[in-house]
Amino acid sequence: MQTLEIQRVHKSFGSLKVLENINLTIEKGKFAAIVGPSGCGKSTLLRMVAGLETPDEGTVQADGKVIKQPSPERMMIFQEHALYPWLTVGENVEMGLELAGVSKEERRKRAQEVLKTVGLDGFYNYYPSQLSGGMRQRVSIARALVMDPDVLLLDEPYGALDAMTRLTMQNELLKLWEGSGKTMLLITHDIDEALYLADQIFVMSARPGKVVQTIDLDLPRPRSRHSQRFGELRQEIMQLLGLEE
Amino acid sequence: MAVPKMKSQTWKKVWPYAAAVGTLLLIWQVAAFFLPPYLLPGVPTVLERLAAGITEPEFLTSLKESLFRLIIGYPSACLLGGLLGLLAGLSRGFAVYLRSLIAILQSIPPITWIPFLIILFGFGNVPIITVIIIASFFPMALSVMNATEGINRTHLEVAKVLGATKGQLLRKVYLPETLPSFITGAQVAFGNAWRSLIASEMVGGASSGLGFSIKFAGEVAQMTDVLLYIVIIGMIAAFFDHVVLEWLKRRVLKWRYIEGAK
Ligand SMILES: Nc1ncnc2c1ncn2[C@@H]1O[C@H](COP(=O)(O)OP(=O)(O)O)[C@@H](O)[C@H]1O
Ligand SMILES: [Mg+2]
Repeated sequence: MQTLEIQRVHKSFGSLKVLENINLTIEKGKFAAIVGPSGCGKSTLLRMVAGLETPDEGTVQADGKVIKQPSPERMMIFQEHALYPWLTVGENVEMGLELAGVSKEERRKRAQEVLKTVGLDGFYNYYPSQLSGGMRQRVSIARALVMDPDVLLLDEPYGALDAMTRLTMQNELLKLWEGSGKTMLLITHDIDEALYLADQIFVMSARPGKVVQTIDLDLPRPRSRHSQRFGELRQEIMQLLGLEE
Repeated sequence: MAVPKMKSQTWKKVWPYAAAVGTLLLIWQVAAFFLPPYLLPGVPTVLERLAAGITEPEFLTSLKESLFRLIIGYPSACLLGGLLGLLAGLSRGFAVYLRSLIAILQSIPPITWIPFLIILFGFGNVPIITVIIIASFFPMALSVMNATEGINRTHLEVAKVLGATKGQLLRKVYLPETLPSFITGAQVAFGNAWRSLIASEMVGGASSGLGFSIKFAGEVAQMTDVLLYIVIIGMIAAFFDHVVLEWLKRRVLKWRYIEGAK
C-alpha cells in the first residue's frame, strides 16, 4: 500500500496560477479528503497524483517514488462516471484487465466478483445508458476496484447524484474501504461528505489554491451527522472557507 | 419488447419515403397523360421495360461495369479518407494541411479531372475510379477528423489511468468513439461516389456502364430507356444508402439503438 507525499508543489496554466506551495502527506491506508471552493485546483492536484499532470515545481511521490505517469496502482474515479457508452457494463469493468492482457475467462470472473461487491449483480450485459446515475458511478468504481489498486483517487464522485443516492453511496464506499488497507483521496465540495468519510481533511483556499488547514478527525465510525463534534468541525471548515463568520 | 419497437420505428421511416416515391411517380404519370408517348412514356410502360430489361445481357454488362468501378473506388476512398482523417485528428499540423488540400480539391469539380486522366491513363476504369476517389474521400476525412479532434478527454484519461499504451488508446478509444462519424462520412461519401461515377461515364470516361448507357439512349432519343436508367440509377443508390449502409450502422453502433438508450 502507498503513502502519498506532495511537497512544495506549484502549478500554473499559462498566466493562471492554480496551485501555490502545496504540502501534504497521506499515510498509507488512510482516508483523506480535500475540500475547497470551485476552481481552486483540487482536480489539478488529484490529476497530479494520478500521473495525468505534472507539477511546475516540487514533487508528487508515492512511497518515495516520483509519480511520472499513470499506474494501475493508483486508480482515479472521475466526476462524470466516464463509462464508455459503446461497451457493456461488463466490458467497461474489464477494460483495464483487457489492456493488461488478462485472459477472457479470468477477466469475466473478476468483473463478476467486483460487480457483486458494488451491488450490480446481473447487470453485466447492460449498456451504461440503461442504468441510473448512481448505478453508473458504481460501475466506474467497480472498473477501478477490479484492478485492485493501492490508491483510489475520487474527484467529486457523487457531485452529480441526488442527495439520497449520495448518502447510500457514501456508506457503500466506507464498506469497500474499511479493512481493505487502500489509501483514499477524495475531492468533494460537500463538507458533510468529507466529515462523514475521512480520517483527515485538507481545506484549500480559493485560487491560487493553498492548504489553509489540515484537520485530523478523531470521530469513531459509523459517524452521526448530528453529533456535537460533527457540528463543530462543520462550522470550523465553513469559517475557513469564508462561508460563515 | 425491443422487437415491436424496432418495427414501428422502421415503419415510421418507411412511410414518408414511400409517399415521396409515390408523389414523383404520380407527377410523372400525370405529365405523361398530356404528352405523346415518344416524349414521355407512362410509368407502366417503363416498368414493363424494366422487367424485360433486367435480363438483357446488354443491360447486365452495363450494370456490372458500373458496380465494379464503384466497388473498387468507393471503399478505397473510405479507407483513404478515414486514415487521413484519423491522422489529422491526432496532429494539428497535418489537420491544417489536409483542410487546405481538401479546400483546393473541392473548388475543382471532380469530373473536371476526366480529360486529364484520360490523357494520362487512356479510356477505361482507371480515370473513373480515380475520380470516384477524389470525389468521395474528403467527406469521410472531414467527418473523421472532426470527431477525432472532438474526442472526449475524460474517455482518453480513463484509458491512460487504466494503463493504455498509445496503440491501445487508438484501438480502444479513438476508433470506437469516432465510429459514428465513419458511418456518417461513408454515407455522404457514397452520394459523391455514385454521382461522380455516373457523371464520369457520361462524359466519356469509358464506353460502358450505366452512365454511358443513358447517354447513348439519349443520343438515339429512346425516352423509355432514358427513364429506365434514371429509375435504375436512383434505385441502386437508395438500396445502398437505406439498406446496406443502414444495416451496417445498426450493426456497428448496436449500443446506440439499445432500448432506453439516450
Ligand atoms: N489543462 C488546463 N488548461 C488550462 N487551464 C486549466 C487546465 N486545467 C484546469 N485549468 C484551470 O485551472 C483552474 C483550477 O482547475 P481545477 O483543478 O479543475 O479546479 P477545481 O477542481 O478545484 O474546481 C481552473 O480555473 C481551470 O479553468
Ligand atoms: Mg474539479
